[in-house]
Amino acid sequence: MSLLEVDGVSVRFGGVRALSNVTFHVNRGEIFGLVGPNGAGKTTLFNAVTGVVRPTTGRICFDEQEIGHLKPHKRARLGIGRTFQNLQLFGAMTVLENLMLPVDAFARRGIVSDAFRLPTASFEERRASERARATLHLLHLDGIDDQRANDLPVGMQRRVELARALCLRPKLLLLDEPASGLDARETAELAEALPRIRERFGTTMLLVDHDMALVMRVCDHITVLDFGEVICSGPPEVVQKDERVIRAYLGEEVA
Amino acid sequence: MTDKRLRHGTIVAGLLVAIVVPLFLSDYYQYEASEIAVLAILVLSLVLITGFVGQISFCQYSFAAIGAFTVGSLVGGHHWSFWLALVVAVAFSAVVGILVGIPALRLSGLFLAILTVAVALFFDRFLLAPGTWDSFSGGLEPWKIGRPSFVGIGLEGPYAYYAFALAAFVVVAWLVWNLRIGKTGRVLRAIRGSEIAASMIGIDVTLWKLAAFGLSAGLAGLAGGLLAADVGAVSPPSFDFLHSVTIAALATVMGVESIGGAAVGAFALIGIPEILSHTPISPDYFQLIVGVALIVQLVFAPQGAIVKMTEDVKRLIGRSTTDDPPAVTKELAKV
Amino acid sequence: MLLASANFGLLPSYTVIGLVLGGTFALAAIGLVLIYRVSGVLHFGHGAVAMFSTFIAYTVAVEWGLPSILGLFAAIIFGAGLGYLIERFTIRPLRDRPALTKVVVTIGWLLVLQTLAGAIWKNTAYHRPVQLVSRSGFKVPLIHLIIGYDQLTTMIVAVALALGTAALLRYTTLGISMRAVADDPDSARLWGVNVDRVTAASWMVGSAMAAIAGVLITPLISFTTFALTLIVIDAFTAALIGRLQSLPLTVVGAVFLGLAQTYPRAFVSNAGSGEVATFLLVIVTLLVLFRPGTSRVRLA
Repeated sequence: MSLLEVDGVSVRFGGVRALSNVTFHVNRGEIFGLVGPNGAGKTTLFNAVTGVVRPTTGRICFDEQEIGHLKPHKRARLGIGRTFQNLQLFGAMTVLENLMLPVDAFARRGIVSDAFRLPTASFEERRASERARATLHLLHLDGIDDQRANDLPVGMQRRVELARALCLRPKLLLLDEPASGLDARETAELAEALPRIRERFGTTMLLVDHDMALVMRVCDHITVLDFGEVICSGPPEVVQKDERVIRAYLGEEVA
Repeated sequence: MTDKRLRHGTIVAGLLVAIVVPLFLSDYYQYEASEIAVLAILVLSLVLITGFVGQISFCQYSFAAIGAFTVGSLVGGHHWSFWLALVVAVAFSAVVGILVGIPALRLSGLFLAILTVAVALFFDRFLLAPGTWDSFSGGLEPWKIGRPSFVGIGLEGPYAYYAFALAAFVVVAWLVWNLRIGKTGRVLRAIRGSEIAASMIGIDVTLWKLAAFGLSAGLAGLAGGLLAADVGAVSPPSFDFLHSVTIAALATVMGVESIGGAAVGAFALIGIPEILSHTPISPDYFQLIVGVALIVQLVFAPQGAIVKMTEDVKRLIGRSTTDDPPAVTKELAKV
Repeated sequence: MLLASANFGLLPSYTVIGLVLGGTFALAAIGLVLIYRVSGVLHFGHGAVAMFSTFIAYTVAVEWGLPSILGLFAAIIFGAGLGYLIERFTIRPLRDRPALTKVVVTIGWLLVLQTLAGAIWKNTAYHRPVQLVSRSGFKVPLIHLIIGYDQLTTMIVAVALALGTAALLRYTTLGISMRAVADDPDSARLWGVNVDRVTAASWMVGSAMAAIAGVLITPLISFTTFALTLIVIDAFTAALIGRLQSLPLTVVGAVFLGLAQTYPRAFVSNAGSGEVATFLLVIVTLLVLFRPGTSRVRLA
């Protein structure tokens, strides 16, 4: 059964077509790879799914519900988490604060309970920091709670951003080039972490990356985009052998 | 932990000075002291909107004016109880703050600054001008309000009102501090960092920004209402556009993120003209001093005088900290 | 100029007043846009520069009794010099800092100039305008309309300077350099443009135009320090209509604003009706023209 259904989605900026008539379904529990050369429209697709841009045409359904009209934060609350290609951590805040925010967003605690330090405030504060610490632990990130996000090396920041998205306990996690800027060891760790996360939380993932080895290794299903259109879709073994894919993407990489 | 002790020590010492010193001052200076306490609340409203959310506002005095004239027209015109009027005043200015916030949601930085200037002028030149809405502005006659009494204690005496105003500031400062260290502060700083990233983790950016606008305007309205009772009368010239610019400039000089900066800023707002009045220099030069301080400060100490001073003190006693740059200096990069 | 009831017979002369007002707004706004485009600074002290320069003209022409034209020249020179000083010593050192920092510095200048002027020429006092040409005028046949020679001069000067700026930008080396810097300072530098000099020049030209606008507007408004400083708001409004980009649209915006501020006075007897017009225009312009995403104007 599908968790995310993207049906005939097109996005146009002025006269430029960023996505044209893209259709694919992501099944529950799947790690779904989305690959394609630069400018193929992968980030635009993420933006369409998370509500940053509005598709010109097409339907996006999540968890049996049409979400095309929902604002970004509503989609996040339905269970769509995301990491960014260009890191979007709150750099001036500590790692712990970064991770508490997704829990805060759900908390039934507002200005009044904060201002007067009502019991709900301290209860929710504890709950948020506990979940944040547990998530850090899961990704082997213990001990960096009080560091400023900006002071961390890039590889570490990527993992913190992944941890932040996980604190939302998303049903669907969109990973936008999680391996970019990582060295071989860190990439290997990531390849090992993603299935572990799925096992732990049952998270479905949509992964975009240039590292074909990583994508082939962790994904159950791969869709290839080129110039905003789907050119091939299937399990890794099939996609690997597809003529058009080799021409459009793998070939280019080799050259 | 020592940082915390240093902070607590400073707060206790500051409060002691604030409570004891005015006891030995003349009525006139006690009156000025209560004005400082009230204005400190107004500067706190700027700390909230500019320091936490990173939105610059040149119309805080307009929100204060709503508070003051709501109290003025209800107490002076309709003989309401001061306290009831104050509650209405805070609510009314909060609502107007939210209304101003709605167009501001779509704008950031420079354009928001222009909008708040337009709002300030609209108030200054139209809404409070005689003939536009006299039942609110009092027309050509200032509203007479007088001093209220608080749970049976009359606040007529200058020290009594000062103590009351100081208590009000301490309570508001405590509330703002709680917001800052709680979820609210975290969420607002996240929004300041990146609105898109904030919405991607489920934060309703629109709602929080409007709430911050409303809260900030409400605080300014509270300051306005308290100011009205402090002076005992309200008339439009106390709320003109240059006041708003001066206070925004002063908050920037002092460092818009710090609550201590708000107190010192308010002290400077009253204290410097007062000191000038005892020198051959006219107190009218106060705005000149603020302007020069603003220019000089931005060239040499961009994070705000108070933040810089604390940094210097900490460095002297061997503790350096890295604070994030203040909102004002980085927020506009993204327009 | 308060009228209790509508008087349509006065519409032609209100139109003339509105056009003249719009012409001076246009001059101030062109200066503002020039500075903004080239240096990326939205100059809140623009009106204060206009005000201070205008009071220099007032001192020369009214207090010293020298010919008005000398006053105008003094104002232009003073305005350009002040623009240069502001840019050279308080904006250029902040080159790598965020735009808002520079804007706040210009607010500092607003306070400084306003306070100084208040101390020298008194804030609240009304002053005799700097009259460049005689107030007498000629009758336009058929409609009840007298156009003052001063009004006519103002309009001619405004049109000439607007066209002159356009020509400057299009045909002179300086103007072409300015456009290059406005588009992309880094590549302009690579092409051998002296960005610092061009930026300083834009501040000088822009501030000189503010000075001219200030002198021309004195017969039209209550001539006080504060009223002149607030011209910056009218200039902003016009510039916003031009999206802080287009000079022709800025001029259109300025004329529109001039008329929008004048006509209501024919119908309502409230001193602030002009401010309401400005306020509404600002709101509408900001909301219509600056949608999220389109407001990403280049800022140095």
